[in-house]
Amino acid sequence: MEFFSVYFNLIPVTLVQGLAYAFVATGIMIPFRLINLPDLSSEGTFPLGGCLVATLIAAGLHPVLATLLAACCGFAAGAGTALIHLKFKVHSLLAGILTVTMLWSLNLRIMGKPNSALFGLPNVFDWLHPAIAGSLLLQCLFFLVLHILLIGLLWWGLQTHAGLALRGVGANSQLAPSLGINAVRYTVFGFGMANAITAFAGALIAQSQGYADVSMGLGLLVNGLASAIIGEAITGRRHLLAQLCAPVVGAVAYYQLGSVALSLGLAPSDLKFATGLFVLMTIGWPVLTGKRPGAALNA
Amino acid sequence: MIQLHDARVVFGPGTPDEKVALDGLNLCLGEGSFTVVVGANGAGKSTLLNVFAGSIVPLGGRLLIDGTDVTSWPVHRRAAMVSRVFQDPMLGTAPSLTVEQNLALADMRGKTRTLSMALDRRRRHRFAEQLAAFGLGLESRMTALAGTLSGGQRQVLALIMATLNAPRLLLLDEHTAALDPRTAALVMDATRRVVGAQRLTTLMITHNMQHAVDYGDRLLMMDAGRIKLDVAGDEKAELGVPEIVQRFGMASDHVLLQTVV
Repeated sequence: MEFFSVYFNLIPVTLVQGLAYAFVATGIMIPFRLINLPDLSSEGTFPLGGCLVATLIAAGLHPVLATLLAACCGFAAGAGTALIHLKFKVHSLLAGILTVTMLWSLNLRIMGKPNSALFGLPNVFDWLHPAIAGSLLLQCLFFLVLHILLIGLLWWGLQTHAGLALRGVGANSQLAPSLGINAVRYTVFGFGMANAITAFAGALIAQSQGYADVSMGLGLLVNGLASAIIGEAITGRRHLLAQLCAPVVGAVAYYQLGSVALSLGLAPSDLKFATGLFVLMTIGWPVLTGKRPGAALNA
Repeated sequence: MIQLHDARVVFGPGTPDEKVALDGLNLCLGEGSFTVVVGANGAGKSTLLNVFAGSIVPLGGRLLIDGTDVTSWPVHRRAAMVSRVFQDPMLGTAPSLTVEQNLALADMRGKTRTLSMALDRRRRHRFAEQLAAFGLGLESRMTALAGTLSGGQRQVLALIMATLNAPRLLLLDEHTAALDPRTAALVMDATRRVVGAQRLTTLMITHNMQHAVDYGDRLLMMDAGRIKLDVAGDEKAELGVPEIVQRFGMASDHVLLQTVV
């Protein structure tokens, strides 16, 4: 029975954690699913957001402005990955690795040290309401409202002429130019937007945990990917709205699963291996059972 | 009027595998003309079509569309004037988008894609009417994913998408080659109807000699990157499959096979 008490006590914390990291899962889902090009940049743009916000707030900038600026820099980094891929004909995964590697040095330059504390400094949560910091429920609500706004914005945007063109590039990259769609411009924008969301998450999480660390992005991509896959298993992806909700639902479920594993006695350091194994199993399952992989994708 | 002047395309220049795909080719397509291009594999047909579409930029030469020099325009910019139906039915539509979303994408070719809703009642209604004209029942499958349509239906959808807002030049790249004969006939029938109704300037590549005889008002035969023969009007109308094979010396196995079909 000890397992249950440990797990139930963890629920509020892991719920907030899941909702916070769900932004990263959304930022990973956009290139993977909507543009159909895998992007690894989030491992670098997430700490970029955190390091930037820590430095800017410490320098006296308003936390809201610092958070928005972090998101803008995430956009630039993501757009950079897309440009490396499209202009230099480098595979998008390698382009992402290049961005992440270069951002590591850049993040260290920005902060001037491997980590920096934000305790005692103003942050967006205190700015919004001082009670948020002490209430997990209010934090949940805060993230939930942000997710609803973001999903609503994406849902609307992807149904406009411009948004449909972005999905057109993902659905058939050869056809898109012949329909007059500038595939380069839309891919750059899509990667930029995805990494703006990821850097935004990095900025928020740095403020909520009270410190930023250059290595705060380590293993994030696989976590986000696992979240997106779990989410899609729950919501499906036949409808656009389901596809957009999947990363959030999946991230919440993923962090609960992680919490169950920890409550059962799994060492926290083993969690990354377990997550990798899980992603591998979901990808490998159709191959092992003889079903064609990606059949749902091609339908 | 579409004018191609002295187009030269060389693959792998300076290497032992150097291949001249277009050898200073000149071609003028009159307003509303329907030109059919035949020729053996490697004759330069596809290269010619890619030069018109913009996916291959010629080493030399110029392409003018209604007097505008579009030689250096990238594919997406040229798409405002030139549209294309691919050979592979998988390429001409976006499989993970619905039929109506595919049409909405194509409907904005050459226009600015804004942040207004891509689909509304008025547009859906117009698309349904356009689909109904082809008698394939596609108008009742507007919300189906394009990937769930049959090859023939997808190719007709691709054709409708290519002609939705009258292009200055329609390129048909062996667009029935991947279909069975009955479906191919259906798609060719749709082609004849849409090209005739809009009087579109059309360039069609085909390996099917019967199609080359039955369709178009001008026939080009290519060989080694040049136009070997060019017949139009009554002379074209009087041609039959045996004459083409005989006169143009195209007795390659491939052509004969196609003729039997």
